[in-house]
Amino acid sequence: MKAETLGAWQQWLAQLQQVATAFAEPLSVSHPLVILPLNILGFWFGLKIYRRAGTPILHPVVGGSLLVLAGLLLLGVDFPAYQSGSGLLYLLLGPAVVALAIPLKQNLQVVRRAGWPLMLGLLLGAVLAPLVAVFIAALLGGSRTVLVALTTKSVTTPVALALAQELHGIQSLAAGVVAFTGIVGAVCGPGLLRLLGISDERVVGFSMGVNAHAIGTVRALEISALCGAFSALAMGLCGALTALLLPVFVTM
Amino acid sequence: MARIKNVSRWLLGAVLLLAFDLAGRGLTATFALPIPGSVLGMLLLLLALMLLGRVPSGLAIVSEQILRLLVLIFLPASVGIYFVRDLTSGDWLALVAAMVIGTLISFALTAMMLQRLLIGSGKRRRGEHSEG
Repeated sequence: MKAETLGAWQQWLAQLQQVATAFAEPLSVSHPLVILPLNILGFWFGLKIYRRAGTPILHPVVGGSLLVLAGLLLLGVDFPAYQSGSGLLYLLLGPAVVALAIPLKQNLQVVRRAGWPLMLGLLLGAVLAPLVAVFIAALLGGSRTVLVALTTKSVTTPVALALAQELHGIQSLAAGVVAFTGIVGAVCGPGLLRLLGISDERVVGFSMGVNAHAIGTVRALEISALCGAFSALAMGLCGALTALLLPVFVTM
Repeated sequence: MARIKNVSRWLLGAVLLLAFDLAGRGLTATFALPIPGSVLGMLLLLLALMLLGRVPSGLAIVSEQILRLLVLIFLPASVGIYFVRDLTSGDWLALVAAMVIGTLISFALTAMMLQRLLIGSGKRRRGEHSEG
């Protein structure tokens, strides 16, 4: 076994160890037993608010993160302490990305029926979405940090976070950009396509998945099951494709 | 008995997710691949499931649960956006403009392109897309 392989696993073990030691520390406001319930409460209430309001603008990412921020300010916890208290959640990110393979496998038959036009559309869409955004930001004089954060704007958050780490970008900025992009796509997307006279649910769903990932997929599911299936599929494929292509482009 | 069987299936699913994650991390490090380890793990699992032809029930349950908690899992990273300080106001302007205008443009372009591609192929194979 090569040293690099062991190194990657040792890194993971060290992360696990950090989570364990954080739990063993004396109880304080930044202890995992305080931070984790805060996260869970923020998520739970965020979800409740979203379900009641029923608008993508109040997606649990927005409501939940604002609630957690309020909790942190009340408790007087700074961000690094909050991060180490949330270690357990960071550890689950990897398995969560791997779990995306299951809905992908289950939707794969849909692709077979639509065939190559869909794959070509996916390839073009996956390249186009970050390219257009980076182009606009570059025109307006955005810094390299901003441009890197924009390259993962249309892929689902767990993949975007993994990519941000790979590209040495700011993970939090990437997460924010992904959430905002998803909300813009989910709020304006269906209306925009109606204006353009596009009503094919497969096209609507696929565009939602490529440009507005999970938030768009939830919106697509409200339109119809077929629309949702195409969106989920496009999201998964676009995430995988971007993860394969992007690091190559950025290092060039 | 049925309960023990369910728990062991769930555990097998969870172990599989972790194993593919670690395998992906190990492989990307070994061959210095530029892609994230967990993404390689996902692709390997997809390949394995395609070869197997079905999704083991425990794995389906675990993955459904973890995907339902996705927002919770990346909540710490999302909260971090409020603590990003080292950007100028020009950077923020570029960011917001690129996100709003860029998303609308790429959304419209993707849909128009797909529409054209699907209609083009539909003419040749009419009747195949009768699902609704």
